[in-house]
Amino acid sequence: MTMVVGYPPDGRRRAVLHLAGMLARSAGDDLVLCAVIPASWPPSPARVDAEYHEHLDREARAVLSRARERIGDDVEVATHVHNARSVPAGLLEVCEERDASMLVTGAFSSTVNRLLHSSHVPVAVAPRGFRAVEGARVQRVTAAFGGMGDDLVVAAATVAARVGAALRIASFAVRPRAPYTVSVGREADDSAVVEWVAEIRAAQRAALERVQAQPAVPSDCEGVVGRGEDWEDALEDIAWADGDVLVVGSSSIGPLRRVFLGSRSEKIVQHSPVPVVVVPRDEAA
Amino acid sequence: MASLQEGEKSAPSLWQQMLRRKPVTVMTEETGTDREGGELKRTIGLFQLTLFGVGATIGTGIFVILTDAVPEAGPAVILAFVMAGVVAGLTAICYAELAGAVPVSGSSYSYAYATLGEAVAVIVAACLLLEYGVSAAGVAVGWSQYLNELLDNLFSFTIPDSISQAPEQGGVFNLPAVVLIWLCTLLLLRGASESAKVNAVMVMIKVAVLILFIAVGVTGWNSDNLSDFAPAGFSGISAAAGIIFFTYIGLDAVSTAGEEVKNPRRNLPLAIIFALITVTSLYMLVAIVGVAAQPVEAFEGQEAGLSAILEDVTGSSWPATVLAAGAVVSIFSVTLVVIYGQTRILFAMSRDGMIPRWFHRLNPRTLTPVPATIFVAVILSILAGVVPIDFLFEMTSIGTLVAFLIVSIGVMVLRQTAPDLPRGFRVPLYPLIPLGSIAGCIWIIQDLRAITIYIFLIWSAVALVWYFLYGRHHSMLGKRASS
Repeated sequence: MTMVVGYPPDGRRRAVLHLAGMLARSAGDDLVLCAVIPASWPPSPARVDAEYHEHLDREARAVLSRARERIGDDVEVATHVHNARSVPAGLLEVCEERDASMLVTGAFSSTVNRLLHSSHVPVAVAPRGFRAVEGARVQRVTAAFGGMGDDLVVAAATVAARVGAALRIASFAVRPRAPYTVSVGREADDSAVVEWVAEIRAAQRAALERVQAQPAVPSDCEGVVGRGEDWEDALEDIAWADGDVLVVGSSSIGPLRRVFLGSRSEKIVQHSPVPVVVVPRDEAA
Repeated sequence: MASLQEGEKSAPSLWQQMLRRKPVTVMTEETGTDREGGELKRTIGLFQLTLFGVGATIGTGIFVILTDAVPEAGPAVILAFVMAGVVAGLTAICYAELAGAVPVSGSSYSYAYATLGEAVAVIVAACLLLEYGVSAAGVAVGWSQYLNELLDNLFSFTIPDSISQAPEQGGVFNLPAVVLIWLCTLLLLRGASESAKVNAVMVMIKVAVLILFIAVGVTGWNSDNLSDFAPAGFSGISAAAGIIFFTYIGLDAVSTAGEEVKNPRRNLPLAIIFALITVTSLYMLVAIVGVAAQPVEAFEGQEAGLSAILEDVTGSSWPATVLAAGAVVSIFSVTLVVIYGQTRILFAMSRDGMIPRWFHRLNPRTLTPVPATIFVAVILSILAGVVPIDFLFEMTSIGTLVAFLIVSIGVMVLRQTAPDLPRGFRVPLYPLIPLGSIAGCIWIIQDLRAITIYIFLIWSAVALVWYFLYGRHHSMLGKRASS
């Protein structure tokens, strides 16, 4: 299979290369490094923009071939300069053309946000400044689990088993600090959290049992709950290590066959300390 | 010191600098033409190419041009359309040979650089800057007239003359035109582009609106208005042709499509001819309906001409409103495209070192040349704000005419100096067509107003002085040769 890597033609994002290298190495996939440059205008009056386009094209090619050097020899890398009216549209076109298994992008931005809302294939998002050591592979897959529907967990387990990584199911309890003026105090709130945690742990156990029943089982499986006052806190609450990847599903709302981020998933993508793979709902099933 | 003098001795002479041509190998290197699948597939047939030409040519000129052209020629303005069309066709065929002689795509500036030398390329670029820059300003002024007409019909409100007219026409500053230019600039800075679909819709709106004008306007036919057919005689017709010529800008888009056209020897000239016949017929129908509807004197100074005529003919305001709305929408899109073209010409010149590197600077995220775009917007704002529209159109026409004049001469020069150069397309009936093209251009130019010609000469002189003082020293080609 092929993973498409969206690489900005300014050549300043290295995080995405590190992530793409790690993912491709683990899955045994090849990469297509893709830079999207503005398409020539259809009327193109007497080609006055030809020189401009040639410049963009040449620069993008140079940037891509430099970027390719950074990935290492153990992954097969092709490069592709694509002309499109917008970056998200261009990347999705390339994914379609190449029948991509995944789209790898740099840190969360308006472009990534648009991709997350319209991609048919899983989108991997590198955290800002992400670095992986040479030859790094995915060691552990953490599946975000909200307690309902364990298709994503099972899908993550299958992938983890295939790439020889461990599986972890993570749920997050995000409770903003209650204002002190509320007379019930923080304790009342806390008891609600405790109850929710008990429920989610039970659900996690059930999901783990289903994972164990699959034909291919990851080397190691566990469940964790992260708590915090905001998403950043809750995500930091569970321990992360090199080689970790977080998998989140898209919300069930939104157009069929599309990634549609629920407000939670979007927050996770923005605050995760490790790379996040956003899986379209029907892909997980 | 000694080494410096030596360096000067070995420096190329002025003639060598002026005549140095960009070798085709350098161009293919720059463009990466040798990359995989570099050769474009020949996929465009005659019909498609004709449509492409019609779409690229039908611009906004016809919406605004009668006001300025009819007072020159009277009802004989319809012959001026034929004359301008024939010359445009001849030049387009010559341009196709020049474009086909250079195996990379580019604007006429790049073709001139590769075939006729650096100094000529700078002159061509100066013409292109007029063609795009000044026409963008002119089109924006035309837009402000139709906007005013639309506001008047819909809300009985007009923007006062003082802020919607050039000084010569009793105003202070044409604010709507400037606002339009900055709106387009903002879109361009954000990296917006026009899609093929939007472009097709815009062409359809323009054609539909013109057909509406013909269909409704013909009801006001009055043969008396045609009785004095050519009050200013033949020179009036060619003077009008000079103003009209710029309505055929865009036809050269067909010439540059050469490398993608099936059987270009047959299809290129045919497509140019068919597109011309289509466009000229439409223009002539609009013109004849217009001149039959009202006396020649009524055209002078008429704002939003086509709308005004419809209103007079029908006595009701809705056809005029529809026409004005169509004009406002489609002229907006043309302004966007023309400003875009302008910034990209500056970009190409900057790449070659003819103007400072500053114009070459791109925003890393949107990949738009931000400094060049803002520079263009500032200059256009001044032009659109204070220069009257008829002068803008004449300047556009002369720029285009001279660029094509150079191209036509260039075709003949190249046939002598580089007879073996492989050409994708050769002008038929050589040397009749280039000679006809040259004669046609000169004929139209000499009937333009003296002031237009003077200002054009000054502009060319400025471009040449700029070249002598800056361009020839900073030429990337020169640097490459000396290193």
